[in-house]
Amino acid sequence: MALLRTREPETLYSAASCSVSLTAVSKQYGVKEAIFPLNLSIDAGERVAFLGPSGGGKTTLLRLLSGQLETSTGTVCLCDRDLSTMPTGRQVSQLVGMIHQQFDLIPNLSALQNTLAGQLGEWSLIKSLVSLVWPMNRDIGLSALTRVGVEGIAYQRAGSLSGGEQQRVAIARLLVQDPQVILADEPVSSLDPARAGEVLQLLVGIAEEAGKTLIASMHSVELAREHFSRLIGLRNGAVIFDLPSHEVTEDMLHDLYNLQGLRSET
Amino acid sequence: MTSTTSRDSAQKPRLLESRRVLTLILLAAFVGSLLNLDWTTGFIHSGGIDAMGEFAKALFTLDLSADTLTSAISASWTTVAYAVAGLTLALLIGIPLGAIGSGVLTRSPWLRVTSGGGTRFSLAFFRSIHELVWAWLFVAAIGLSPMAAVLALAIPYGGILGRIYAELLQDVPDAPLRSLRSTGASEWRVFWYGRLPMALPDMLSYTFYRLECGIRSAAIMSFVGLGGLGHEIRISLDDLAYQQVWTYLLFLIGLVVIVDVWSTMVRRRLSE
Ligand SMILES: Nc1ncnc2c1ncn2[C@@H]1O[C@H](COP(=O)(O)OP(=O)(O)OP(=O)(O)O)[C@@H](O)[C@H]1O
Ligand SMILES: [Mg+2]
Repeated sequence: MALLRTREPETLYSAASCSVSLTAVSKQYGVKEAIFPLNLSIDAGERVAFLGPSGGGKTTLLRLLSGQLETSTGTVCLCDRDLSTMPTGRQVSQLVGMIHQQFDLIPNLSALQNTLAGQLGEWSLIKSLVSLVWPMNRDIGLSALTRVGVEGIAYQRAGSLSGGEQQRVAIARLLVQDPQVILADEPVSSLDPARAGEVLQLLVGIAEEAGKTLIASMHSVELAREHFSRLIGLRNGAVIFDLPSHEVTEDMLHDLYNLQGLRSET
Repeated sequence: MTSTTSRDSAQKPRLLESRRVLTLILLAAFVGSLLNLDWTTGFIHSGGIDAMGEFAKALFTLDLSADTLTSAISASWTTVAYAVAGLTLALLIGIPLGAIGSGVLTRSPWLRVTSGGGTRFSLAFFRSIHELVWAWLFVAAIGLSPMAAVLALAIPYGGILGRIYAELLQDVPDAPLRSLRSTGASEWRVFWYGRLPMALPDMLSYTFYRLECGIRSAAIMSFVGLGGLGHEIRISLDDLAYQQVWTYLLFLIGLVVIVDVWSTMVRRRLSE
Protein backbone atom coordinates (compact mmCIF):
# COMPACT_ATOMS: atom_id res chain seq x y z
CA MET A 1 0.00 0.00 0.00
CA ALA A 2 1.12 3.52 -0.70
CA LEU A 3 0.88 4.44 2.94
CA LEU A 4 3.34 1.88 4.16
CA ARG A 5 6.61 3.50 5.02
CA THR A 6 9.88 2.11 6.09
CA ARG A 7 11.98 4.13 8.44
CA GLU A 8 15.60 3.34 9.10
CA PRO A 9 16.47 3.94 12.74
CA GLU A 10 19.34 6.29 11.90
CA THR A 11 17.40 8.51 9.49
CA LEU A 12 14.82 10.46 11.34
CA TYR A 13 12.24 10.89 8.65
CA SER A 14 11.28 9.30 5.38
CA ALA A 15 11.88 11.13 2.14
CA ALA A 16 8.31 10.59 1.00
CA SER A 17 6.38 13.62 -0.14
CA CYS A 18 3.23 14.17 -2.10
CA SER A 19 1.04 16.61 -3.91
CA VAL A 20 -2.05 18.42 -2.70
CA SER A 21 -5.03 19.38 -4.78
CA LEU A 22 -8.25 21.19 -4.06
CA THR A 23 -11.15 20.95 -6.48
CA ALA A 24 -14.04 23.42 -6.19
CA VAL A 25 -13.48 23.60 -2.44
CA SER A 26 -15.57 26.05 -0.44
CA LYS A 27 -16.36 26.51 3.21
CA GLN A 28 -19.24 28.16 5.01
CA TYR A 29 -19.60 28.70 8.74
CA GLY A 30 -23.36 28.86 9.04
CA VAL A 31 -24.24 31.57 6.55
CA LYS A 32 -20.77 33.13 6.62
CA GLU A 33 -18.80 32.33 3.48
CA ALA A 34 -15.22 31.77 4.70
CA ILE A 35 -13.78 30.27 1.50
CA PHE A 36 -15.35 30.82 -1.91
CA PRO A 37 -15.07 27.89 -4.34
CA LEU A 38 -11.45 27.57 -5.42
CA ASN A 39 -9.12 25.19 -7.23
CA LEU A 40 -5.57 24.83 -6.14
CA SER A 41 -2.86 22.36 -6.86
CA ILE A 42 0.45 22.14 -5.08
CA ASP A 43 3.22 19.82 -6.25
CA ALA A 44 5.12 17.41 -4.09
CA GLY A 45 7.98 19.20 -2.35
CA GLU A 46 6.73 22.71 -3.08
CA ARG A 47 6.98 25.42 -0.43
CA VAL A 48 3.91 27.64 -0.43
CA ALA A 49 2.89 30.53 1.81
CA PHE A 50 -0.60 31.97 2.26
CA LEU A 51 -0.64 35.72 2.79
CA GLY A 52 -3.39 38.15 3.44
CA PRO A 53 -5.29 40.27 5.92
CA SER A 54 -6.86 38.91 9.07
CA GLY A 55 -10.03 36.95 8.40
CA GLY A 56 -8.95 36.23 4.84
CA GLY A 57 -9.35 32.49 5.32
CA LYS A 58 -5.77 31.30 5.81
CA THR A 59 -6.46 29.25 8.92
CA THR A 60 -9.68 27.88 7.47
CA LEU A 61 -7.89 26.72 4.34
CA LEU A 62 -5.12 25.03 6.32
CA ARG A 63 -7.64 23.26 8.54
CA LEU A 64 -9.47 22.02 5.44
CA LEU A 65 -6.16 20.65 4.16
CA SER A 66 -5.45 18.88 7.44
CA GLY A 67 -8.85 17.23 7.55
CA GLN A 68 -9.69 18.94 10.85
CA LEU A 69 -12.50 20.73 9.07
CA GLU A 70 -14.89 19.30 6.52
CA THR A 71 -15.39 21.10 3.24
CA SER A 72 -18.83 22.53 2.44
CA THR A 73 -18.34 21.63 -1.21
CA GLY A 74 -15.52 20.14 -3.26
CA THR A 75 -12.78 17.66 -2.49
CA VAL A 76 -9.34 17.86 -0.93
CA CYS A 77 -6.89 15.30 -2.25
CA LEU A 78 -3.61 14.42 -0.58
CA CYS A 79 -1.31 12.07 -2.49
CA ASP A 80 -4.17 11.58 -4.95
CA ARG A 81 -6.44 10.28 -2.22
CA ASP A 82 -9.68 11.96 -1.23
CA LEU A 83 -9.24 13.15 2.35
CA SER A 84 -12.91 12.69 3.24
CA THR A 85 -12.82 8.99 2.39
CA MET A 86 -9.91 8.22 4.66
CA PRO A 87 -11.33 6.34 7.62
CA THR A 88 -9.06 6.94 10.56
CA GLY A 89 -7.21 9.86 12.04
CA ARG A 90 -4.17 7.64 12.01
CA GLN A 91 -4.02 7.35 8.23
CA VAL A 92 -4.50 11.07 7.84
CA SER A 93 -1.71 11.72 10.33
CA GLN A 94 0.71 9.75 8.16
CA LEU A 95 -0.04 12.09 5.28
CA VAL A 96 -0.34 15.47 6.92
CA GLY A 97 0.88 17.13 10.11
CA MET A 98 0.29 20.64 11.38
CA ILE A 99 1.91 23.12 13.72
CA HIS A 100 0.24 26.23 15.04
CA GLN A 101 1.21 29.66 16.23
CA GLN A 102 1.26 28.49 19.86
CA PHE A 103 -0.37 26.18 22.41
CA ASP A 104 0.71 23.11 20.48
CA LEU A 105 2.28 21.29 23.41
CA ILE A 106 0.97 19.70 26.59
CA PRO A 107 2.50 22.03 29.19
CA ASN A 108 2.68 19.44 31.98
CA LEU A 109 4.64 16.86 30.00
CA SER A 110 8.35 17.00 29.28
CA ALA A 111 9.70 18.19 25.93
CA LEU A 112 10.72 14.59 25.20
CA GLN A 113 7.27 13.20 25.93
CA ASN A 114 5.71 15.87 23.75
CA THR A 115 8.11 15.00 20.96
CA LEU A 116 7.40 11.28 21.22
CA ALA A 117 3.66 11.99 21.13
CA GLY A 118 4.22 12.29 17.37
CA GLN A 119 4.06 8.51 17.32
CA LEU A 120 0.84 8.17 19.32
CA GLY A 121 -1.05 7.20 16.19
CA GLU A 122 1.20 4.22 15.68
CA TRP A 123 1.68 3.04 19.25
CA SER A 124 -0.57 0.54 20.97
CA LEU A 125 -2.46 1.84 23.99
CA ILE A 126 -0.28 -0.20 26.33
CA LYS A 127 2.89 1.19 24.82
CA SER A 128 1.51 4.73 25.05
CA LEU A 129 0.66 4.28 28.73
CA VAL A 130 4.01 2.77 29.67
CA SER A 131 5.72 5.52 27.72
CA LEU A 132 3.95 8.14 29.79
CA VAL A 133 5.93 6.98 32.83
CA TRP A 134 8.99 5.57 31.11
CA PRO A 135 9.42 7.11 27.63
CA MET A 136 10.06 4.47 24.96
CA ASN A 137 11.94 4.97 21.70
CA ARG A 138 13.84 7.69 23.54
CA ASP A 139 16.55 7.70 20.87
CA ILE A 140 14.09 8.82 18.18
CA GLY A 141 12.78 11.61 20.41
CA LEU A 142 16.25 12.73 21.40
CA SER A 143 17.57 12.78 17.86
CA ALA A 144 14.55 14.82 16.77
CA LEU A 145 15.21 17.29 19.59
CA THR A 146 18.88 17.38 18.59
CA ARG A 147 17.92 18.11 14.99
CA VAL A 148 15.90 21.15 16.07
CA GLY A 149 18.69 22.25 18.41
CA VAL A 150 17.11 21.85 21.84
CA GLU A 151 18.37 18.48 23.08
CA GLY A 152 19.42 20.19 26.33
CA ILE A 153 15.85 20.71 27.49
CA ALA A 154 14.55 17.21 26.74
CA TYR A 155 13.45 16.55 30.30
CA GLN A 156 12.11 20.00 31.08
CA ARG A 157 8.37 20.64 31.37
CA ALA A 158 7.11 22.01 28.05
CA GLY A 159 5.17 24.74 29.86
CA SER A 160 8.39 26.17 31.28
CA LEU A 161 10.08 26.59 27.88
CA SER A 162 10.42 29.84 25.96
CA GLY A 163 8.16 30.42 22.96
CA GLY A 164 10.97 29.67 20.51
CA GLU A 165 11.89 26.46 22.31
CA GLN A 166 8.25 25.38 22.33
CA GLN A 167 7.99 25.88 18.56
CA ARG A 168 11.17 23.86 18.10
CA VAL A 169 9.72 21.04 20.19
CA ALA A 170 6.53 21.19 18.09
CA ILE A 171 8.70 20.83 14.99
CA ALA A 172 10.51 17.90 16.62
CA ARG A 173 7.16 16.23 17.21
CA LEU A 174 6.36 16.74 13.55
CA LEU A 175 9.67 15.06 12.65
CA VAL A 176 8.69 12.07 14.76
CA GLN A 177 5.22 11.98 13.24
CA ASP A 178 6.87 12.14 9.81
CA PRO A 179 3.94 13.21 7.61
CA GLN A 180 4.39 13.81 3.90
CA VAL A 181 2.81 17.25 3.91
CA ILE A 182 3.61 19.81 6.61
CA LEU A 183 1.07 22.53 7.37
CA ALA A 184 2.00 25.50 9.54
CA ASP A 185 -0.45 28.14 10.71
CA GLU A 186 1.56 31.30 11.42
CA PRO A 187 4.34 29.16 12.91
CA VAL A 188 6.52 32.06 14.00
CA SER A 189 4.06 34.88 14.68
CA SER A 190 4.41 34.60 18.45
CA LEU A 191 8.20 34.96 18.34
CA ASP A 192 10.47 37.99 18.27
CA PRO A 193 11.90 38.80 14.80
CA ALA A 194 15.30 37.19 15.37
CA ARG A 195 13.80 34.01 16.82
CA ALA A 196 11.14 33.96 14.08
CA GLY A 197 13.78 33.94 11.36
CA GLU A 198 15.71 31.12 13.02
CA VAL A 199 12.72 28.89 13.65
CA LEU A 200 11.33 29.43 10.15
CA GLN A 201 14.75 28.66 8.69
CA LEU A 202 14.71 25.41 10.65
CA LEU A 203 11.24 24.42 9.48
CA VAL A 204 11.98 25.23 5.86
CA GLY A 205 15.37 23.54 6.08
CA ILE A 206 13.80 20.32 7.29
CA ALA A 207 11.12 20.40 4.61
CA GLU A 208 13.78 21.00 1.95
CA GLU A 209 16.09 18.28 3.26
CA ALA A 210 13.37 15.64 3.24
CA GLY A 211 11.67 17.04 0.14
CA LYS A 212 8.41 17.48 2.04
CA THR A 213 5.60 19.68 0.85
CA LEU A 214 5.33 22.70 3.13
CA ILE A 215 2.28 24.94 3.25
CA ALA A 216 2.26 27.80 5.72
CA SER A 217 0.22 30.85 6.47
CA MET A 218 2.47 33.82 7.11
CA HIS A 219 1.97 37.07 8.90
CA SER A 220 5.26 38.57 7.76
CA VAL A 221 5.56 39.27 4.04
CA GLU A 222 9.36 39.61 4.28
CA LEU A 223 9.82 36.17 5.83
CA ALA A 224 7.40 34.63 3.33
CA ARG A 225 9.27 36.10 0.37
CA GLU A 226 12.57 34.97 1.76
CA HIS A 227 11.69 31.36 2.53
CA PHE A 228 8.88 30.29 0.20
CA SER A 229 8.95 29.74 -3.52
CA ARG A 230 5.27 30.42 -4.14
CA LEU A 231 2.97 32.98 -2.54
CA ILE A 232 -0.82 32.87 -2.51
CA GLY A 233 -2.71 36.00 -1.48
CA LEU A 234 -6.08 35.39 0.18
CA ARG A 235 -8.68 38.01 0.97
CA ASN A 236 -12.29 37.50 2.01
CA GLY A 237 -12.05 33.82 1.16
CA ALA A 238 -10.84 34.31 -2.41
CA VAL A 239 -7.45 33.94 -4.06
CA ILE A 240 -6.16 37.39 -5.11
CA PHE A 241 -2.88 36.18 -6.58
CA ASP A 242 -0.99 32.92 -6.87
CA LEU A 243 2.53 33.47 -8.16
CA PRO A 244 6.15 32.50 -7.75
CA SER A 245 7.66 34.66 -5.00
CA HIS A 246 9.82 36.78 -7.28
CA GLU A 247 6.85 37.77 -9.44
CA VAL A 248 4.84 39.23 -6.56
CA THR A 249 5.14 43.03 -6.69
CA GLU A 250 4.80 45.63 -3.96
CA ASP A 251 1.62 46.88 -5.66
CA MET A 252 0.00 43.46 -5.42
CA LEU A 253 0.85 43.26 -1.74
CA HIS A 254 -0.41 46.76 -1.16
CA ASP A 255 -3.69 45.87 -2.82
CA LEU A 256 -3.94 42.63 -0.85
CA TYR A 257 -3.69 44.33 2.53
CA ASN A 258 -5.10 47.77 1.95
CA LEU A 259 -8.40 47.37 0.13
CA GLN A 260 -10.17 46.17 3.25
CA GLY A 261 -11.90 49.51 3.79
CA LEU A 262 -13.74 49.10 0.49
CA ARG A 263 -15.24 45.78 1.54
CA SER A 264 -18.39 47.02 3.25
CA GLU A 265 -19.13 49.44 0.41
CA THR A 266 -18.96 46.89 -2.38
CA MET B 1 -18.00 47.63 10.56
CA THR B 2 -17.95 44.29 8.82
CA SER B 3 -21.01 42.17 8.39
CA THR B 4 -19.93 39.58 11.00
CA THR B 5 -19.76 41.97 13.87
CA SER B 6 -23.15 43.50 13.12
CA ARG B 7 -24.76 40.03 13.06
CA ASP B 8 -23.05 39.11 16.30
CA SER B 9 -24.32 42.18 18.05
CA ALA B 10 -27.83 41.46 16.79
CA GLN B 11 -27.82 38.12 18.58
CA LYS B 12 -26.13 39.13 21.79
CA PRO B 13 -28.81 41.29 23.48
CA ARG B 14 -31.36 38.47 23.50
CA LEU B 15 -28.89 36.15 25.24
CA LEU B 16 -28.01 38.84 27.74
CA GLU B 17 -31.66 39.52 28.50
CA SER B 18 -32.51 35.91 29.20
CA ARG B 19 -29.50 35.73 31.50
CA ARG B 20 -30.65 38.81 33.35
CA VAL B 21 -34.13 37.33 33.81
CA LEU B 22 -32.61 34.16 35.25
CA THR B 23 -30.49 36.19 37.65
CA LEU B 24 -33.58 38.11 38.82
CA ILE B 25 -35.53 34.90 39.44
CA LEU B 26 -32.67 33.42 41.46
CA LEU B 27 -32.29 36.63 43.44
CA ALA B 28 -36.03 36.67 44.20
CA ALA B 29 -35.91 33.06 45.36
CA PHE B 30 -33.01 33.90 47.67
CA VAL B 31 -34.72 36.92 49.22
CA GLY B 32 -37.99 34.99 49.52
CA SER B 33 -36.35 32.17 51.41
CA LEU B 34 -34.75 34.62 53.84
CA LEU B 35 -38.15 36.24 54.51
CA ASN B 36 -39.77 32.85 55.07
CA LEU B 37 -37.46 31.93 57.94
CA ASP B 38 -38.86 32.47 61.42
CA TRP B 39 -36.23 34.69 63.02
CA THR B 40 -38.12 35.56 66.23
CA THR B 41 -38.81 32.42 68.21
CA GLY B 42 -36.58 29.81 69.77
CA PHE B 43 -33.34 31.31 68.63
CA ILE B 44 -31.34 30.93 71.83
CA HIS B 45 -33.01 29.78 75.03
CA SER B 46 -32.03 31.51 78.26
CA GLY B 47 -30.11 28.64 79.83
CA GLY B 48 -28.14 28.37 76.64
CA ILE B 49 -26.39 31.68 77.22
CA ASP B 50 -24.98 30.51 80.55
CA ALA B 51 -23.84 27.23 79.00
CA MET B 52 -22.09 29.10 76.21
CA GLY B 53 -20.28 31.27 78.71
CA GLU B 54 -19.07 28.24 80.60
CA PHE B 55 -18.03 26.56 77.38
CA ALA B 56 -15.99 29.62 76.38
CA LYS B 57 -14.35 29.77 79.80
CA ALA B 58 -13.30 26.12 79.53
CA LEU B 59 -10.95 27.04 76.67
CA PHE B 60 -8.61 28.63 79.22
CA THR B 61 -8.61 25.63 81.53
CA LEU B 62 -7.89 22.92 78.96
CA ASP B 63 -7.80 19.35 80.14
CA LEU B 64 -4.26 18.24 79.34
CA SER B 65 -4.14 15.19 81.60
CA ALA B 66 -2.30 12.15 80.29
CA ASP B 67 -5.58 10.22 80.10
CA THR B 68 -7.33 12.78 77.93
CA LEU B 69 -4.28 13.27 75.74
CA THR B 70 -3.86 9.56 75.04
CA SER B 71 -7.52 9.16 74.21
CA ALA B 72 -7.34 12.29 72.02
CA ILE B 73 -4.36 10.91 70.14
CA SER B 74 -5.93 7.53 69.61
CA ALA B 75 -9.24 9.13 68.57
CA SER B 76 -7.39 11.41 66.12
CA TRP B 77 -5.69 8.39 64.66
CA THR B 78 -9.03 6.62 64.21
CA THR B 79 -10.54 9.70 62.56
CA VAL B 80 -7.61 10.11 60.19
CA ALA B 81 -7.74 6.40 59.35
CA TYR B 82 -11.45 6.62 58.52
CA ALA B 83 -10.91 9.74 56.43
CA VAL B 84 -7.95 8.35 54.48
CA ALA B 85 -9.53 4.94 53.90
CA GLY B 86 -12.82 6.58 52.93
CA LEU B 87 -11.15 8.98 50.54
CA THR B 88 -9.06 6.22 48.98
CA LEU B 89 -12.21 4.26 48.23
CA ALA B 90 -13.85 7.48 47.02
CA LEU B 91 -10.97 7.93 44.55
CA LEU B 92 -11.59 4.44 43.21
CA ILE B 93 -15.20 5.48 42.59
CA GLY B 94 -14.57 9.06 41.49
CA ILE B 95 -11.70 8.68 39.01
CA PRO B 96 -13.26 6.11 36.64
CA LEU B 97 -16.80 7.44 36.96
CA GLY B 98 -15.58 11.01 36.55
CA ALA B 99 -13.64 10.09 33.42
CA ILE B 100 -16.61 8.25 31.91
CA GLY B 101 -19.10 10.88 33.04
CA SER B 102 -17.11 13.66 31.41
CA GLY B 103 -17.84 11.98 28.07
CA VAL B 104 -14.35 12.71 26.75
CA LEU B 105 -13.27 9.13 26.13
CA THR B 106 -15.32 8.70 22.99
CA ARG B 107 -16.07 10.65 19.84
CA SER B 108 -19.41 8.94 19.36
CA PRO B 109 -22.21 11.30 20.43
CA TRP B 110 -24.53 8.38 21.16
CA LEU B 111 -22.10 6.71 23.59
CA ARG B 112 -21.34 10.05 25.14
CA VAL B 113 -25.00 10.66 25.96
CA THR B 114 -25.79 7.17 27.26
CA SER B 115 -22.66 6.28 29.24
CA GLY B 116 -22.02 9.88 30.28
CA GLY B 117 -25.62 10.44 31.32
CA GLY B 118 -25.90 7.16 33.22
CA THR B 119 -22.67 7.78 35.07
CA ARG B 120 -23.60 11.34 35.92
CA PHE B 121 -26.91 10.15 37.30
CA SER B 122 -25.30 7.61 39.61
CA LEU B 123 -22.75 10.18 40.75
CA ALA B 124 -25.60 12.55 41.56
CA PHE B 125 -27.36 9.81 43.50
CA PHE B 126 -24.23 9.02 45.55
CA ARG B 127 -23.62 12.58 46.59
CA SER B 128 -27.20 13.72 47.12
CA ILE B 129 -27.37 11.59 50.27
CA HIS B 130 -25.29 13.01 53.10
CA GLU B 131 -22.52 10.91 54.67
CA LEU B 132 -24.34 10.99 58.02
CA VAL B 133 -27.37 9.35 56.44
CA TRP B 134 -25.16 6.78 54.75
CA ALA B 135 -23.56 6.17 58.16
CA TRP B 136 -26.94 5.51 59.75
CA LEU B 137 -27.81 3.16 56.91
CA PHE B 138 -24.59 1.22 57.13
CA VAL B 139 -24.62 1.03 60.93
CA ALA B 140 -28.11 -0.40 60.69
CA ALA B 141 -26.99 -2.84 58.02
CA ILE B 142 -23.56 -4.01 59.21
CA GLY B 143 -23.34 -2.69 62.76
CA LEU B 144 -20.80 -0.43 64.44
CA SER B 145 -17.80 -1.50 62.38
CA PRO B 146 -15.09 0.68 60.84
CA MET B 147 -16.32 -0.64 57.50
CA ALA B 148 -19.57 1.25 58.02
CA ALA B 149 -17.69 4.51 58.56
CA VAL B 150 -15.42 4.02 55.55
CA LEU B 151 -18.27 3.14 53.20
CA ALA B 152 -20.43 5.98 54.50
CA LEU B 153 -17.65 8.41 53.69
CA ALA B 154 -16.54 6.81 50.42
CA ILE B 155 -19.89 6.87 48.63
CA PRO B 156 -20.89 10.54 48.83
CA TYR B 157 -17.27 11.64 48.48
CA GLY B 158 -16.89 9.42 45.42
CA GLY B 159 -19.94 11.16 43.97
CA ILE B 160 -18.52 14.61 44.65
CA LEU B 161 -15.03 13.80 43.39
CA GLY B 162 -16.42 12.16 40.25
CA ARG B 163 -18.48 15.18 39.41
CA ILE B 164 -15.65 17.67 39.94
CA TYR B 165 -13.16 15.47 38.07
CA ALA B 166 -15.57 15.24 35.14
CA GLU B 167 -15.77 19.02 34.99
CA LEU B 168 -12.01 19.55 35.30
CA LEU B 169 -11.38 17.02 32.54
CA GLN B 170 -13.85 18.80 30.27
CA ASP B 171 -12.47 22.27 30.93
CA VAL B 172 -8.95 21.56 29.74
CA PRO B 173 -7.83 23.97 26.95
CA ASP B 174 -8.65 22.58 23.54
CA ALA B 175 -5.73 23.71 21.36
CA PRO B 176 -3.08 21.28 22.67
CA LEU B 177 -5.61 18.45 22.43
CA ARG B 178 -6.32 19.27 18.81
CA SER B 179 -2.61 19.10 18.10
CA LEU B 180 -2.44 15.68 19.73
CA ARG B 181 -5.36 14.45 17.64
CA SER B 182 -3.59 15.58 14.48
CA THR B 183 -0.77 13.14 15.28
CA GLY B 184 -3.35 10.40 14.86
CA ALA B 185 -4.00 9.84 18.57
CA SER B 186 -7.32 8.26 19.57
CA GLU B 187 -9.48 9.85 22.28
CA TRP B 188 -8.06 7.40 24.82
CA ARG B 189 -4.54 8.47 24.07
CA VAL B 190 -5.60 12.11 24.01
CA PHE B 191 -7.02 11.49 27.49
CA TRP B 192 -3.82 10.04 28.88
CA TYR B 193 -1.40 12.38 27.11
CA GLY B 194 -3.40 15.58 27.18
CA ARG B 195 -6.44 15.84 29.37
CA LEU B 196 -5.20 14.01 32.43
CA PRO B 197 -1.78 15.71 32.65
CA MET B 198 -3.39 19.11 32.17
CA ALA B 199 -6.21 18.53 34.67
CA LEU B 200 -4.06 16.75 37.24
CA PRO B 201 -2.84 19.72 39.31
CA ASP B 202 -6.40 20.97 39.84
CA MET B 203 -7.68 17.46 40.50
CA LEU B 204 -4.99 16.94 43.09
CA SER B 205 -5.59 20.18 44.91
CA TYR B 206 -9.32 19.53 44.99
CA THR B 207 -8.67 16.05 46.38
CA PHE B 208 -6.62 17.56 49.19
CA TYR B 209 -9.45 19.92 49.97
CA ARG B 210 -11.76 16.92 50.10
CA LEU B 211 -9.37 15.13 52.48
CA GLU B 212 -9.73 18.10 54.78
CA CYS B 213 -13.52 17.85 54.55
CA GLY B 214 -13.21 14.09 55.02
CA ILE B 215 -11.49 14.56 58.35
CA ARG B 216 -14.27 16.83 59.56
CA SER B 217 -16.90 14.42 58.24
CA ALA B 218 -15.20 11.43 59.82
CA ALA B 219 -15.13 13.25 63.15
CA ILE B 220 -18.81 14.16 62.95
CA MET B 221 -19.80 10.72 61.72
CA SER B 222 -18.47 9.08 64.82
CA PHE B 223 -21.28 10.84 66.71
CA VAL B 224 -23.31 7.92 65.41
CA GLY B 225 -21.30 5.69 67.75
CA LEU B 226 -18.35 4.83 65.59
CA GLY B 227 -15.07 5.61 67.36
CA GLY B 228 -13.06 8.75 66.70
CA LEU B 229 -12.83 12.38 67.76
CA GLY B 230 -16.56 13.00 67.36
CA HIS B 231 -17.37 10.07 69.60
CA GLU B 232 -15.09 11.42 72.35
CA ILE B 233 -16.50 14.92 71.96
CA ARG B 234 -19.99 13.59 72.35
CA ILE B 235 -19.17 11.63 75.51
CA SER B 236 -17.45 14.64 77.05
CA LEU B 237 -20.37 16.88 76.11
CA ASP B 238 -22.76 14.47 77.81
CA ASP B 239 -20.57 14.71 80.93
CA LEU B 240 -20.52 18.51 80.61
CA ALA B 241 -16.70 18.16 80.61
CA TYR B 242 -16.07 21.23 78.46
CA GLN B 243 -12.32 21.24 79.17
CA GLN B 244 -12.05 17.84 77.49
CA VAL B 245 -14.28 18.94 74.61
CA TRP B 246 -11.83 21.76 73.87
CA THR B 247 -8.86 19.42 73.90
CA TYR B 248 -10.54 17.21 71.32
CA LEU B 249 -11.61 20.18 69.23
CA LEU B 250 -8.06 21.50 69.19
CA PHE B 251 -6.83 18.12 67.99
CA LEU B 252 -9.42 18.26 65.20
CA ILE B 253 -8.28 21.77 64.22
CA GLY B 254 -4.68 20.54 64.32
CA LEU B 255 -5.46 17.73 61.89
CA VAL B 256 -7.16 20.08 59.44
CA VAL B 257 -4.24 22.52 59.61
CA ILE B 258 -1.74 19.72 58.98
CA VAL B 259 -3.63 18.59 55.86
CA ASP B 260 -3.82 22.19 54.72
CA VAL B 261 -0.07 22.74 55.07
CA TRP B 262 0.66 19.44 53.35
CA SER B 263 -1.60 20.25 50.41
CA THR B 264 -0.05 23.69 50.01
CA MET B 265 3.37 22.09 49.83
CA VAL B 266 2.31 19.52 47.24
CA ARG B 267 0.56 22.13 45.12
CA ARG B 268 3.60 24.39 45.18
CA ARG B 269 5.77 21.54 43.97
CA LEU B 270 3.34 20.71 41.18
CA SER B 271 3.13 24.23 39.83
CA GLU B 272 6.91 24.59 39.58
N1 LIG C 1 -15.42 28.49 13.84
C1 LIG C 1 -15.86 29.55 13.13
N2 LIG C 1 -17.17 29.89 13.15
C2 LIG C 1 -17.62 30.93 12.42
N3 LIG C 1 -16.84 31.71 11.66
C3 LIG C 1 -15.53 31.43 11.59
C4 LIG C 1 -14.97 30.34 12.32
N4 LIG C 1 -13.65 30.30 12.07
C5 LIG C 1 -13.40 31.32 11.22
N5 LIG C 1 -14.52 32.00 10.93
C6 LIG C 1 -14.62 33.15 10.00
O1 LIG C 1 -14.08 32.77 8.78
C7 LIG C 1 -13.29 33.82 8.23
C8 LIG C 1 -11.90 33.34 7.94
O2 LIG C 1 -11.23 33.09 9.18
P1 LIG C 1 -9.76 32.51 9.27
O3 LIG C 1 -9.52 32.21 10.71
O4 LIG C 1 -9.59 31.43 8.31
O5 LIG C 1 -8.90 33.78 8.84
P2 LIG C 1 -7.33 33.97 8.86
O6 LIG C 1 -6.95 34.37 7.49
O7 LIG C 1 -6.67 32.79 9.45
O8 LIG C 1 -7.17 35.22 9.82
P3 LIG C 1 -5.96 35.58 10.85
O9 LIG C 1 -4.88 36.19 10.04
O10 LIG C 1 -6.60 36.58 11.76
O11 LIG C 1 -5.59 34.32 11.54
C9 LIG C 1 -13.35 34.96 9.23
O12 LIG C 1 -14.29 35.90 8.78
C10 LIG C 1 -13.82 34.30 10.50
O13 LIG C 1 -14.60 35.20 11.23
MG1 LIG D 1 -5.54 32.43 11.27
